Amino acid sequence: MQYGRFLLRRVVHSVFVIWGAATVVFMLRFLTPGDPVTALAPPDAGDEVRAALERRLGLDDPIHIQYFDYITDLMVGDFGKSMEVLDRSVLDWIFWTRFLRSVELAISATVVAIVIAIPLGVISARRRHTVSDYSATLFSLGGISTPNFWLGLMLILLIAVPVGFIPTGTPGPLLHEAVGDLLAGDPGTLGDWLRFMLLPAITLGTYFTALLTRLTRSGMLEEIGKAYVKATRAKGLPETLTMYRHVLRNTLIPIVTILGLQLGTLIGGAIITETVFEWNGLGQLLIERINARDWTMIQGIVIIIAIGFVTINTIVDLLYAYLDPRVMDE
Amino acid sequence: MAEPLLRVENLSTRFFTEEGQVNAVEGVSFEVEQGEVFGIVGESGSGKSVTALSLVDLVESPGRVTDGSVWFRKPDLAERIREDDPEAATEAVDGEMVDIRQLDENERRALRGTDFAMIFQDPTSSFNPSITVGTQIAEAVEVQRRAEANPRTLRSRTQGFGLMKFLTTSMVPTVDYVSEESRERAVELLDTVGIPDPAERATEYPYQFSGGMLQRAMIAQALASEPSVLVADEPTTALDVTIQAQILNTMADLQEEYGMTTVLITHNLGVIARMCDQVGVMYAGELVERGTLGDLFERPTHPYTKGLLGSSPSLEDATKRLQPIEGNVPSLLDEEMEDRCYFADRCPKAMEDCLQDPPEFDADGSQHHRAKCYLADHGYESALPEGYFDE
Amino acid sequence: MISDRVKASLKREFYQSRAAQVGLALVVIITLMAVFAPMIAPHDPTTQRVGTGDTAELTDLPPISPVPGHEFVGTREQSIVNETTGEFRNVQVEVPANASHPLGTNERGQDILSRVIYGARVSMLVGILGAALAAIVGVPYGLVAGYFGGRLDDGLMRIGDVMLAFPSLVLAIALIGVFRDSGFHTTDLPDPFVAAAQADAIPNILIPRSGHVATMPEATTFPVTVTLVVALVNWVWFARIARGEALSIRAEEYVTAARGLGASNTTILRQHILPNAITPIIVLATIQVAFIILLEASLSFLGFSGTNLTWGADIQQGRNGLSSGKWWVSTMPGLAIVLAVVGVNLLGDWLRDALDPGIQGESGGV
Repeated sequence: MQYGRFLLRRVVHSVFVIWGAATVVFMLRFLTPGDPVTALAPPDAGDEVRAALERRLGLDDPIHIQYFDYITDLMVGDFGKSMEVLDRSVLDWIFWTRFLRSVELAISATVVAIVIAIPLGVISARRRHTVSDYSATLFSLGGISTPNFWLGLMLILLIAVPVGFIPTGTPGPLLHEAVGDLLAGDPGTLGDWLRFMLLPAITLGTYFTALLTRLTRSGMLEEIGKAYVKATRAKGLPETLTMYRHVLRNTLIPIVTILGLQLGTLIGGAIITETVFEWNGLGQLLIERINARDWTMIQGIVIIIAIGFVTINTIVDLLYAYLDPRVMDE
Repeated sequence: MAEPLLRVENLSTRFFTEEGQVNAVEGVSFEVEQGEVFGIVGESGSGKSVTALSLVDLVESPGRVTDGSVWFRKPDLAERIREDDPEAATEAVDGEMVDIRQLDENERRALRGTDFAMIFQDPTSSFNPSITVGTQIAEAVEVQRRAEANPRTLRSRTQGFGLMKFLTTSMVPTVDYVSEESRERAVELLDTVGIPDPAERATEYPYQFSGGMLQRAMIAQALASEPSVLVADEPTTALDVTIQAQILNTMADLQEEYGMTTVLITHNLGVIARMCDQVGVMYAGELVERGTLGDLFERPTHPYTKGLLGSSPSLEDATKRLQPIEGNVPSLLDEEMEDRCYFADRCPKAMEDCLQDPPEFDADGSQHHRAKCYLADHGYESALPEGYFDE
Repeated sequence: MISDRVKASLKREFYQSRAAQVGLALVVIITLMAVFAPMIAPHDPTTQRVGTGDTAELTDLPPISPVPGHEFVGTREQSIVNETTGEFRNVQVEVPANASHPLGTNERGQDILSRVIYGARVSMLVGILGAALAAIVGVPYGLVAGYFGGRLDDGLMRIGDVMLAFPSLVLAIALIGVFRDSGFHTTDLPDPFVAAAQADAIPNILIPRSGHVATMPEATTFPVTVTLVVALVNWVWFARIARGEALSIRAEEYVTAARGLGASNTTILRQHILPNAITPIIVLATIQVAFIILLEASLSFLGFSGTNLTWGADIQQGRNGLSSGKWWVSTMPGLAIVLAVVGVNLLGDWLRDALDPGIQGESGGV
């Protein structure tokens, strides 16, 4: 009941934010110096050709009509067409595999981060001032201070080159293909998938792992100092249970929101990682289209990323409220 | 005379802080009979809360119990230690009494939540904010149930509840440490302590409770284990006056019903008068006077006890002016503490003897009445000159 | 604005924490390196030594090995002429390290140590200016939102939420895409030391190695767009922290008292709210400097910063050599970034531990 109201409020808010983001993206085009028609039209084009091009791009309408068209098109899932290759729509160009490649990379990195960071943070906090604590602290400091493109290059230099397999250039198979082949009795594709995924996932996941380790450690330490922990110990609950059922749980609740916001860094990192490993995903496409000054494509990609980001954050918030109902009372 | 249930001997707890060593509890000794309420009263900073935590072994770094014994009557445990390790038993076992301080950490932990339970001062911060009250009480019940089912293996209490289990229980809520029976028992307990509509309230979170209701819930949690000893650290301080009275009534009723032995920490003499059989007065980490309620209220020996009584308002004689105790609570920093009666600088009857640390003397009244004051030994003689401590 | 108690706490924490000392040392060293680059750098970082003949000897030099007996050896492709047939043939020749280029050279023969030293200029300047700019915009914005509350707060923070809908690097790339064709994409900042040394304006004694300094580049290319964009992408974090602080401080009794005495809103904001909100803002600013250095490096790695003399661009430049054994070209500037960011992060940890402003760890940072 109360949760339903909270859910509704949160969803309305995120729709508003997406609308705002779309408006910002729409305005980007008007900030660009230069006239797209001049850029696209052949140098010897007459006024007639120019006018036709302008009409085709929808630039002959007054600005508020253009804005209205843009928003309504977005609402029905039409992200426009490329400016450079006029027949190609944004969604067509992004197509499913590129999108999946980026998502797979991001999820793999997150999984790497969670699997490593939470145990590391817990160990670090519980064995404070021991060698394991210091190593974990040093690792996390290094992790949040290392630019991931450089880390990727170093991994190529130190691991891929000596091993003789550089997971760049030819993109590996997608996970669903790999799983399909595995079910059909061929584990080879999954092996390929792993070989291609391993270094990029580590590259992208390191910053996240380091950050999560730091947050888990400091959160655990803060939580352990609270009065309820003493009360929990007083009622005889074994230490492991006190740690996992109470302390770690309460530590992870606020971390969930922070991670939601940090997902932005992950997406940004994915763009860089894709560039380093020539990974054929959304980020690589964005860079390529920016260098081509293809504004409608850029707008399309940016707004798709923003929608994904806002959606994930909304889900995270809803999860948070489910875990800790106090936030609904705000 | 039968052995007391709890006998504390020369208990000392120190905190090793950056500023130096703090002697929070120093050489505290007292005995509590089965079914009695022993009250510890003192100003804030006198070390009474640390004493409570020392009893249940919950003093945390940088603090440590450095010395002394906590003898607890538990015949089966005493028997077991004698069988398992006769050598250790010569030190740690005395008849039916076991010195908790000499047990290993797991054994000590096993006593918490089964034989010892604790009620804390601030109920709102003593519950985990993100778990329902019912579940938290049910945890205490569960600890007790598992301990009863398998009294000898401590591991059964955890039952492999490690990281994997944490992950599975987070994702599959039906797999849980706490059993359905424990949850039902938790609701019964909430009912016992006078919480209306207990089944409904058990599913609520601590922030949905008022302070008084939450303190009742905490009492229910402490009762979950049917403890032999209940340590209550200022159970009513954080509450409104009207609620305080209700909570005290509840506690007194339950005390009568369950026949629990209670160590009650408070700074409120009214609470002491209402609840306690025996009383100890704490000052600067020491128990300066102890005895029956009558001993302390009618025949106070230590000038500090007299001062405390004089500084509390009384209903019978509302016209009487309150007599505040001059001066401040002394620093408990080891390097700043001289080897003398710590109260001497505020004492209206300071004597030359007081410059030495007084031992515990028998005082007038019951056989339990003892005071760390030379006045209990001899009369007021060779007074220190006025302003002696002003330097 | 900073009380004695805070100063004492900073000092105590500093003496106790080895990490804080290392952090401060790193930041000081790198800042000095950036400021006095023309005096420290052994060579002009932009001079190329390509072609044939003597200068070609200076391309692709490996760094000097720190361990004697384990010298690094690079390889270089060289054309040799067969005397009898007159045919050219390309062969790989081994290249030994050269003491005048301790960190080696890149394929254009530019000295990597000098480039690393000069690269500190852009990184530190963008990091500090970017964070300062973000704070100048974000802090008043957040203070006003938090202090006045209500509709205004809702409206202002909604705008902030919209900004947060974009991952910072994505927004930064898109904005740079927009602005890089404009005239102010980069600007040349003249180097005062070089100018002085060349003009003989000040006695040469005041500038060490003035003959050397005079041959250094006269100006540093400063990426204006990148600085503006990183500020634009990050001001929201300052606004959020400032708003949270203002929201809690305005409920304090002394604010009520000041209002009761007839103080204007501006006075209250300036004299009561800002000074009490300043500690978490300082901590956030430090973390932001670290983050912006990384962001700037990413942008120049992608080739968006408009200048080549940055750590990120140098890493990009050395990328092709990685598989052919020229590992040092990318490695050295990367190490410089790591050291700089580690230093700033350690400073941030020190400030946070000492001031304990109760902001949620790194949450506000990125």
